[in-house]
This record gives sequence, C-alpha cells and structure tokens, in this order.
Amino acid sequence: MSAHPDDNLISMLNQIALNLGGGRDEESAATATCRHVETFWARPMKQRLMASLARPETGLSATAHRAATLLAKRQEERRTG
Amino acid sequence: MIEHFDPRRQTNGVDFSKADFSKDYGTPAARPGAASVSVEIDGVRLSVPEGTSVLRAAALADISIPKLCATDSLEAFGSCRLCAVEIEGRRGLPASCTTPVVEGMKVTTQNARLAKLRRGVMELYISDHPLDCLTCPANGDCELQDMAGSVGLREVRYGFEGENHLAEQKDTSNPYFTFDPSKCIVCSRCVRACEEVQGTFALTIDGRGFDSKVAAGQDEAFMDSDCVSCGACVQACPTATLMDNSVIDHGVPDRSVVTTCAYCGVGCSFEAQMKGDKLVRMVPYKGGDANHGHSCVKGRFAFGYASHPDRLTTPMIRDSIDQPWREASWEEAIGFAAQRLKAIQAEHGRESIGGITSSRCTNEETYLVQKLIRAAFGNNNTDTCARVCHSPTGYGLKTTMGESAGTQTFDSVMKADAIIVIGANPTDAHPVFGSMMRKRLRQGAKLIVADPRRIDLLKTPHLNEAQHLPLRPGTNVALVNALAHVVITEGLEDTGFVARRCDTDAYQRWRAFISEPRHSPEASEMITGVPSEAVRRAARTYATAPNGAIYYGLGVTEHSQGSTMVMGIANLAMATGNIGREGVGVNPLRGQNNVQGSCDMGSFPHELPGYQHVADPIARGRFEARWGVALDDEPGLRIPNMFDAAIEGTFKALYVQGEDIAQSDPNTQHVEAALRSLDCLIVQDIFLNETAKFAHVLLPGSSFLEKDGTFTNAERRINRVRKVTPPVAGKQDWEVTQDLANALGYPMNYAHPSEIMDEIAALAPSFAGVSYEKLEQYGSLQWPCNDANPRGMPTMHAIDFPIGLGRFAITEYVATEERTNRRFPLLLTTGRILSQYNVGAQTRRTHNQHWHDEDVLELHPSDAEVRGVSDGDWLGITSRSGQTVLRARLSERMQPGVVYTTFHHPGSGANVITTDNSDWATNCPEYKVTAVQVEKVSQPSAWQQRFSAFDQTQKNHLESARQETP
Ligand code: SF4
Ligand code: SF4
Ligand code: SF4
Ligand code: FES
Repeated sequence: MSAHPDDNLISMLNQIALNLGGGRDEESAATATCRHVETFWARPMKQRLMASLARPETGLSATAHRAATLLAKRQEERRTG
Repeated sequence: MIEHFDPRRQTNGVDFSKADFSKDYGTPAARPGAASVSVEIDGVRLSVPEGTSVLRAAALADISIPKLCATDSLEAFGSCRLCAVEIEGRRGLPASCTTPVVEGMKVTTQNARLAKLRRGVMELYISDHPLDCLTCPANGDCELQDMAGSVGLREVRYGFEGENHLAEQKDTSNPYFTFDPSKCIVCSRCVRACEEVQGTFALTIDGRGFDSKVAAGQDEAFMDSDCVSCGACVQACPTATLMDNSVIDHGVPDRSVVTTCAYCGVGCSFEAQMKGDKLVRMVPYKGGDANHGHSCVKGRFAFGYASHPDRLTTPMIRDSIDQPWREASWEEAIGFAAQRLKAIQAEHGRESIGGITSSRCTNEETYLVQKLIRAAFGNNNTDTCARVCHSPTGYGLKTTMGESAGTQTFDSVMKADAIIVIGANPTDAHPVFGSMMRKRLRQGAKLIVADPRRIDLLKTPHLNEAQHLPLRPGTNVALVNALAHVVITEGLEDTGFVARRCDTDAYQRWRAFISEPRHSPEASEMITGVPSEAVRRAARTYATAPNGAIYYGLGVTEHSQGSTMVMGIANLAMATGNIGREGVGVNPLRGQNNVQGSCDMGSFPHELPGYQHVADPIARGRFEARWGVALDDEPGLRIPNMFDAAIEGTFKALYVQGEDIAQSDPNTQHVEAALRSLDCLIVQDIFLNETAKFAHVLLPGSSFLEKDGTFTNAERRINRVRKVTPPVAGKQDWEVTQDLANALGYPMNYAHPSEIMDEIAALAPSFAGVSYEKLEQYGSLQWPCNDANPRGMPTMHAIDFPIGLGRFAITEYVATEERTNRRFPLLLTTGRILSQYNVGAQTRRTHNQHWHDEDVLELHPSDAEVRGVSDGDWLGITSRSGQTVLRARLSERMQPGVVYTTFHHPGSGANVITTDNSDWATNCPEYKVTAVQVEKVSQPSAWQQRFSAFDQTQKNHLESARQETP
C-alpha cells in the first residue's frame, strides 16, 4: 500500500507517460499523456493529480509533470470556457 | 423438380427454419459453393450440391432411408449396411451414406430385396442386444429401436443363447454418463465423434470381428482415460450404450427450449431439454452458429448448480456485517437499499456511490445497471469485471483498428494456414473453439504457441507442425516486437495492404522504430528467454502463410503492458496484411460468457453503450434526451480506483450485480479492506459469494435458465438466452435493477428485455439493427448490425477500418516493476482449467469437482528439488502482497523459475498473493506475473485461517436467518 495517498496516482501517470513516450518527442508525449488522463480518469483523480503539482517533490517524471501541468491548463480553460 | 437449397449449409443470415436442425440428414453437408447435380430418388427429382451423399439427398427430399452408423455430424463410415439402396445401372446394393450423387442417378430406396437385406442386418444386431426396451433409459429415444420398427423386424432366428455381450459390466466412472457395453452395436459413432468433433482421440474399437468393442484409452475406465467429458460420444450414440445419467434418472425429456451457455465466451447454443418443469439435459444445438452442435463438459453437464440448495431464495438485509442476516420481502430490501444509498449521497456527495455490472448477466441486465448508475445515481462510477480481464483489448484494438472487438468468426479458423496462440489455452478455457482449432491443425495448419507453459494444444493428436516459444512471464511486448522486427527487416511485410489501408505517417514512424537492432530476436533473447532462431522461424511461418491468424487470451491482457501487447499484435497483423478476410485476423478469446457484451453495453466509466465517450456532447445528448436526465461528462471511477477511494473514505456504497470481486480481484487483503470500509454494499447473486459476506443487502439473482435476454460471445455474436424455468426467488435480475431505480425515484418501466434491447438499438449505432424479432428470424447476429449491415458483419475491416486508416502504434517494451530477486526468486503466473469456471461458484457446485477439487501449485521438478519439495507437499507461497498455502504438483510443463496456479477455489487465496500492479492504460491487473518464494509448510497461512473463520461466521449469519423463517 502506498505511503502517500497520491503515490498511486503519481506512479500511474509516470507509467502512462513512459508507455506513450516511445517514438515521440517530449511535447507530443506530454500531450498524449494529458489526453489519456482526460479520456480515462475520474474527476476526483484528476483533481488530486493537479493538486499534487503544488507539492515540492511531486515524484513525476519530466513528461508526466508536463502532462499534469497541461491538464491543469486545459481543465481551467474548460471551466472558464 | 425440387431445387434443393441445403439448410445446413447456410451461414448466419440466410433463411432457415428451426425444424431443419432437429433432423438428422445422415451425412454432413457438401462443401459450400459446389455445383448442383440432379438425381431421381423413388421417382422424386431434385438437385443437390455435388458431393452430397445419396442418404443426405434422400433426407432432403423427406425420404428416409434406414441407417445406423451414419449421422450428419460425422463423416460417413459405411459399416452397418442398413442404408443400402438400388441404383439404376449399378450392380449390388451400395451403401447410400458413402455413395455420392452423380448427375442423372436414379435411386430406389424401398423394395423387397432391400427390405430383406435390412431385416437380415437388424436381426443380427438384435440377436446380440438385450430385449429390455421397456425398461431401457433410451426407450423412445433409440435409433436401434426405431430402425427395428422401420425395417419391420418381427423375429430373431438366431436365438439369444449363442455367444454374446449381454453380461458386460457397466462403466459408471464418469459422474455424468454411463457406458453400458451390453447395448453396444459397434457402429463406432462414438469413436468418430471423439476424433472428428472433439479431437481428443480417447476412444478406440478394440479387437476384431465379433470380439470388437469400444474401449476408452488403453481399455481403462472413462475417468482414467484422456476423456474430457465433452459428451460428443454420448450425443452420437444411437443406442443406450452411452447415456446421460440424468436421463437414466429422470426419463426421456419431452420438450426443449434453445438457449445459450452461460459459462465461457464461446457462447454455445443448447437445447435445454425438459420434462415438465424439470431440466433433464442440455444438448448442444446443431443450429448454434458458434458451436454447430458441439459442447464441453461445463455447458453440457454442469448445470446442476441452478437447483443447488445453496441458492439464495429470499432477499436479506442487515445493518452491519457483524450481524446475522434478516430475511426481508423484496419491497423491504429494495426500500432499505434505496434509503441507504440516498442517505449516503446526501451526506458524502453524488460521487460517493457506484456499481459494478456483470459479465455473466445478459446484455439487457448490464445495460440497465449502468443506466441506473449514470441516470439514477447521477455519476459515471460504473465498471465491470472485464476491467480485470479484457479491458486492454478494448483500448488496444480501438487505438489501432478503431473497434474494441475481435475481427473474425470462430469458423474463420478453418481457413487459417498459420495460427499463433499467445497467452491463451483454448482447449481448457474455450473448449469448443479449441476443438475446431484442433480440427484445422489436423488438416495441416501450422501452429505457433507463445506461452510460458506447454499448453495442451501442443499435444494435439496428428498435429502437423508446432512451434513453442516459451517466453518468460512479463516479456510479451519484447517478443511481439522481435516478431515484427523480423517481418520488416526480412522484407516479409504486405506493402500493398499497408499502403492502401494504413496511415502512412504512423506506419513510417513504427517501421523506423521496429527496425532498430534493439528489437531483433538476438537482442531480445536475453529478455524473453526465447532462442532467436525460434523467433525468426515463427515470424517467417506466420508472415509467409497465405492466411495467418492470431488468437490471444488473458496471458496477453493481464500484464502491466497488456494494452501495449494488444497493439503489438494488431501491428503484426496489419503489417502482414492479415486483416479483413476469412482465415486471418486478431482474435481475443474472452473469458466469461458476456465479457464482450458487458463492454458493448457501456459498463466502463468513460464510455456510454456502444463505446461512445461520455465527453462526446452529441452522443451524450442522445442519451440525455432518451433518459430524461443530465449526464456527467467526466469519466467515473474504475474498480481499483473505487477500492482506493473506499479505503480513503470518499467512496461509501457499491451495488454489485453477479460478480465476485472479493475472490476474482487481485490483492485480496486490499479488496477486503475496501469492502469492509463501505457503509452500504448491495450484492445481487445466486449464491452467498465471497463479496456477499461483506454485504448489507443481499438480493437473490436468477440463473441463465431463469431469464430472457441476450449474450454476446467473443466473435461479437448476439445469441438469445431464453427462460426455461421460473426464477427461484421470483425476479429476473433486470427486474430487480428496475425496482431499485424506481425506489430511488428514477422511473423504469420495461415489461420485457426485448424493450430494453429496442432502447439499446436506438442509442448504440452498432446495435441499430438488432431486435428480438430479427434474432428469432436469424438465430444470431454479429454486430455491427445496422442499415449498412442489416444481417450483421461476420468479418470486420474488410474494406476499411472504423477510423478510416489503420494506425500502427509504437510499442516500447517497458519491463514490469514486478521482478524476481533473492527474496522472491520465482515468477507466479495464473490460469484456468477445463472443468472449473472462473471463481468456481457454479462449477464447484456440480460433479465437475471430480476433476478439480482443489487449486494446486505447479512447479518444475528442478525448482522442487532445490527446496526439498515432493509432489503433494503443502507449500507456502509468499509475495509482496501476502501469503497462502497450496499443495505442490511437480510438472514438466513449467519452465524452471516459473510456478503456476488456478483460482477456482476461494480458500486457496491465489489472489492474496497477486499484487495491485496493473496495465498502464486500463488498470487491468497484472495477474500473470507475481514474484514469489515457495517453501514447505505444515499449516494454512494466516490469511487462510482468518478466511475460514470469517467464512464460517458469515455462513452462520445466513443459516440463522434461514432458520428464523417459520
Ligand atoms: S466424452 Fe468427449 S472426450 Fe470423452 S470419450 Fe466422449 S467424445 Fe471423447
Ligand atoms: S457406444 Fe454407441 S456409438 Fe459407440 S459403438 Fe457402441 S453403439 Fe455405437
Ligand atoms: S463453457 Fe464454453 S465451450 Fe463449453 S459449452 Fe459453454 S460456451 Fe461452449
Ligand atoms: S448408415 Fe450407411 S452403412 Fe451404416
């Protein structure tokens, strides 16, 4: 079981970024990862992920971090629409 | 002249009447597409396809010729001589079963000479047959009796005193059928059925002439032979020699209803044969488009669970799981559940509750549960146990080819020239399809098996050529990449197909990626453990065969890279042009009967029925209009997310229909902790399953025999399920869901499942053309079924993909985090066996227990030796998640370093050791790879001791409720 409740989400996102990263540059890998989360993750999970960006040590890989940041931006745009 | 249109030759979609399948035409239909020839039989002129036997031609014209050794499920044999006929211009009296028609042939089936010959034949048979017809179990259902009547046998001149077989002993070793050799006429139909239909070759005719007799194995008891109890021989036997015990006990049935097996994803059609309201036997239905009259031990014989005394018959409620159950009326129980759900939502919010649909229930029931969740609960917290088996199939196939389903019919395998089987065990898990595949292998197709274990398919009798790639668990993607690397670097790809049908940019990127030397078989040998030469040979075999087909199972999906592997398979098929016609394709073998259907019906949190994303405003809008509520546009929680949320305290109530997540899901202790933290768990099931032990509301479910609906099998085939007996607790499952919706204030008023299907057809484009009326008419339909394909689509992607062009996906191999080390030096992988089904709740309550009454741990003798383990020892198996104890079985099928078990018995706790690692894209658990250590022990594990104590307490809670009722 995870030490921090967000650890699970973090490692899930890292896995996704790793698997979608093959053959892509970092920007498109981050976009693909962000799209994946948008498509498949539940609202509370997305919120928790975005909130975890505020922590000093997120534990996210570079691509995953960029994807999470992009997600936050796109969710904000969607909200303010 | 009668223009003869042979009904048995019709595939799905062409007119046929049910009556045709109840008739025995004597020999199989001729090859489809054969030219026609005209013949005259007893003055009736008709034309039939070339290759048709005289016996069959006569039967098509409703002229019946006596016969004993022939039946239309088997090739003609010509041994009994009863079917003799006269043919103008030919000498003698040829056997009509082995004589094909030729143009202009004139046949006489009845005259004095023929009558004399037939009576003589029958006389000989009967002189060595007991005359106990009145007390024989086959009385009224015996071809020998019928033939004696038909040829007008009146006396037996030889007397019964001569040498005979009347005193032969019965073999009652098989729990489902009896072999009574005294009644055998040595027609060898059973032997041929075991060879031709089942492909097991368990039976032989021993001895010659008068001494010849049917023998199982090396003249052993049936149970000790290779027999797998499929029942094909029982079905083929024209006498009472091989007879269902249920018919011996209850008599010959008098009516039947055609329905669909509720066990595996093959979806066999059966005649449920009844006597009054008692189900006497299940006989595989010849008109079944998936099984063509064959079956396995589960569907044919293991239906006794439906009338088992453990069946729940009354709803039950309790405030907490430490309390005994209290019986309640339906109204009270539904009211109690609804009130609790509402209170929880009021306190913890709309998203604090959810539900799980069943891959065993019907499409209509599954649809209704997800509708209840989305419309009445007001969130998308719906998921299904397909999450834990084939969710990567949906993701991987949709990404590459645009549709979340297999591309072929089962029959397509009969045109395959090279067959790759990856991580699947068809002879055990999909037995009827396994038999068909074996038939094709006997005809000469080449077989490639990629599996850590030597599966039984590799032991197919009369196998032409077989290659086994024994890879290390968890290295699938490295292997599929190596196969594709060979295809590309050796110039074996189908450039025409790729140019016409696939997205060029994606292809070029993939081609560059896969050509890199790091994907070569030589480079990946270190990872997979498979010799490079074997990989090269397999790739060449597949790529150069005229038709190459890939079949895969849970050994592909249940990995941390399950989705990647599915895409890797799709890449391989597209690169070699093996898509879009019969004999090729990408074929997931689905586990449970309605896994395909439960996915189609919108069970997943992100997809509405018909794979339409919840965020798609147009699709969602149509559902909102029809359902009369606003729907959430964000995906909901998946099963593992629900568990995590429950433990954190944000998820409080769960409605589970017909699933046993406490036994089937990985990391049991985590699941138990999640279930214990729920304030309201509503379980609807036919038994007190493991999950129900944590429940507050128990709603009795109905078995497949007690309801109307449809199942969708692994080839996208929608088959009807028909009610044969009334539901034991008074309600079909969809009625219970409907009641719960109404109690929550969301109105549902369906009078029959057909109305639910009409709603599905209106909302899910690929089901637009499906209706019960059409299913009655055509027997079954393979979706997509719509205006463009009114009779469904047997082979997908023939012209284009639903996404237009096929998309190659980059499939980087990422090693699983579950690795062996000094503490956990072995890899555990899990699987299934023939006689048991999934969590075993059904099969454990039948005689199938005779084959497998406990889960064991298979390990290689060398691993056993270093640990001082011998066969039958108790072994403690420890992983990072937990420990359990199983008995050891030494087996050369395993490679050293890999151990194997099944999870059919709850007390085995196989899932106590599996971890919560999962597929990166879909969270499908990594059941197939767990690092473990194994050592000899003397007592059950701590979990097992707790399990049996808790099990006993919960059983007592149920018992006390039952005793309280007067
Ligand atoms: S039950 Fe099936 S496997 Fe067994 S002998 Fe009969 S045909 Fe063969
Ligand atoms: S057991 Fe039945 S099918 Fe087999 S040879 Fe005897 S009579 Fe024929
Ligand atoms: S379990 Fe599968 S193969 Fe066996 S009868 Fe049922 S559907 Fe057919
Ligand atoms: S039925 Fe033709 S020889 Fe037996």
